[in-house]
Amino acid sequence: MIEFSHAILSLSHFGDALLSLTVLSVLLSLGSNRVRALIKIMAFQGIVVSLIPFFLEHHGEMSTGSIILLQIMLLVKGLIIPGFMYAAVQKVKIQLEVEPIVGYNASLFFGVIFILLAAFITDRLHISLPVDNDLLMIAALTTLASGLFLIMTRHKAITQVIGYLMMENGIYLVGTALAKETHTMYVVEFGVLLDLLVGIMIMGIVVHNINSSYDDVDTALLGQLKDN
Amino acid sequence: MLELIMVIPLLTGVISMFVPVWIGRGILIVTALLHLQLTVFGWLGKITPVFPDYFAVTHEGMLILMVTSFVFLFISLYAVAYMNEAEISSEPIYTGCTLFFLATMSMVTLADHLIVLWIAIEATTLMSAPLIFLNRSKTALEATWKYVMICSVGIALALLGCFFVVLAMDLGGVHVPISFSSLGTVADKLDPVWLKAGFIFLIIGYGTKMGLAPMHTWLPDAHSEAPSPASALLSGALLNCAFLGVYRGHQLMYQAGLGDFSGNILIGFGLLSMLIAAIFIFNQTGYKRMLAYSSIENMGIIAFGVGIGGLATYGAMLHLIHHSLIKSSLFLSSGNVLLGYGSKLIDKTGNMAKLFPKTFTAFFAGFAGISGFPPFGIFISELLIIMGAFQQGRGLEVSIFILALILVFAGASRLVTKMCFARCDNPHILVKENLARTLPSYALLLASLVLCIWLPDSLYETILSAIATIGGGVNG
Repeated sequence: MIEFSHAILSLSHFGDALLSLTVLSVLLSLGSNRVRALIKIMAFQGIVVSLIPFFLEHHGEMSTGSIILLQIMLLVKGLIIPGFMYAAVQKVKIQLEVEPIVGYNASLFFGVIFILLAAFITDRLHISLPVDNDLLMIAALTTLASGLFLIMTRHKAITQVIGYLMMENGIYLVGTALAKETHTMYVVEFGVLLDLLVGIMIMGIVVHNINSSYDDVDTALLGQLKDN
Repeated sequence: MLELIMVIPLLTGVISMFVPVWIGRGILIVTALLHLQLTVFGWLGKITPVFPDYFAVTHEGMLILMVTSFVFLFISLYAVAYMNEAEISSEPIYTGCTLFFLATMSMVTLADHLIVLWIAIEATTLMSAPLIFLNRSKTALEATWKYVMICSVGIALALLGCFFVVLAMDLGGVHVPISFSSLGTVADKLDPVWLKAGFIFLIIGYGTKMGLAPMHTWLPDAHSEAPSPASALLSGALLNCAFLGVYRGHQLMYQAGLGDFSGNILIGFGLLSMLIAAIFIFNQTGYKRMLAYSSIENMGIIAFGVGIGGLATYGAMLHLIHHSLIKSSLFLSSGNVLLGYGSKLIDKTGNMAKLFPKTFTAFFAGFAGISGFPPFGIFISELLIIMGAFQQGRGLEVSIFILALILVFAGASRLVTKMCFARCDNPHILVKENLARTLPSYALLLASLVLCIWLPDSLYETILSAIATIGGGVNG
């Protein structure tokens, strides 16, 4: 019995370590100005985020369905989407995100503020949550907010797509933090996967078109439509 | 086999992409007719869903499906004539994608399952993005990028909202399928805190698609850059479908006894949308952008009416029908203006009354209708919303509402007068107007006029049953 509880303890510690890695990757991506490095960070984050649900105590036994979904999740988030983006970057030869709307140091500072805010919100919500896992909620909200932040403050279309990806990671974490697997029937996994595939596919097409008509993927070039 | 309503456009859409253009046009019209026919059968309750877990016939769904199907038929008729004159290289893409678009919108109206509804709304973004990019210009690309980016983020937040609703079920110890019809029966057991959080995310997510301010920024660009038949579809059909997502959320909140909370949020978003539209419509340089801001205003009116409740809800539903009819008609007319003058700028147009009398009639009548002049239906719907709001004692809100209406009318009438009557130096008419491109606009306006004078009983009862689920009714 003692060994058993010990095993569970270390498992949940491992989950906490993964959560810390997620937050770390978020901060790294906020401070990074190299697009390729960003894509590598996203691949890493994708893998870590997909693994997290299986180190949570409240999920208990794994069903066949969840194992299959894990494999798909790993494949899509860790390999297919980053690979796709890497190929796109190779083709259009973008190296640096130039002059973001909010600088890198300031972005990092915002990242820290997001962590604090997430901790504050999680603390306030504590009462009605089904699972007692503060770290998960904090990591999830930080990832979500930072993803939105990247979308808003970066010029390159590809960095905005990375922001979208990060936001989806955050949503996936919130989903797993909140939903009990028993009767949601993989709603979380399914929804996020679909959203990712559809979103990335259609964004990929548009990015490709932006590149072929402007020879760049800078959305600052897209400024012709405005109200006067 | 209710699902045929969405399967048929899907199949014909695939076929139309691989056949010569003229067959594709035929397929478009035939599918539109078939769709309308099936919708009528569904309306009459003659067909039932094969997958009752995911799809259901609801009053509000059928109402919006009927509007969509009706508007789609006339837009297709127009599109065939428009495509003849406009130089669009990829017509099979237009035909295929509008049919897919129709399929996904039908799916939205029939969806009963929380996640199926979400998938369907996501799919509408996917299918309509190629329509906006049809002209392949740099501005069209920009509009598409904004549309895809902003709506994807919105839809992702709506997914989060769905998770919160599921969590509210978990905490309430409710074990039913996650469909709106079964959730409605146990709504009072759902955890109220998480249900509220879920509703906020749902309204932000679906509200983005619906064009509620401040998430509306994609809408003017997308509506002005899409070819006119596609703009008419976006404004006349898609916005209603997104509204259905918000409506279902509000319905669930009402059933859970939290109707005041969600109603106030709807009123807030509605008034903000109207005011923002009123401010931005004033100095517009493009007439399609002007119409797009008017759509934002009208979505605000609908949200406001639904939020107020009671008689105003009935007004809001009427408004939804008439806005679709009149606004699609206006966008179709704007397509004629674009073909005629070759520019989207108001400055490049003028003296429409003399140069394009048929288009002028449709455009000006549509403008009168959308501004709330009788004999068009928006007169009644806005009047009912205002009366409903006074009945509920919402004096402050209704004064803002009326102020916004006046501002929008003032702003838009200046521009429309300029387009219709201002002198146009050395007019350079590219394409002459013809009946094939004006009759659909007339037909849509006529439909609004007829519905204003004579509302069929079956339609009246459907509206009443639809709004009864959120506490609305004609007796206040």
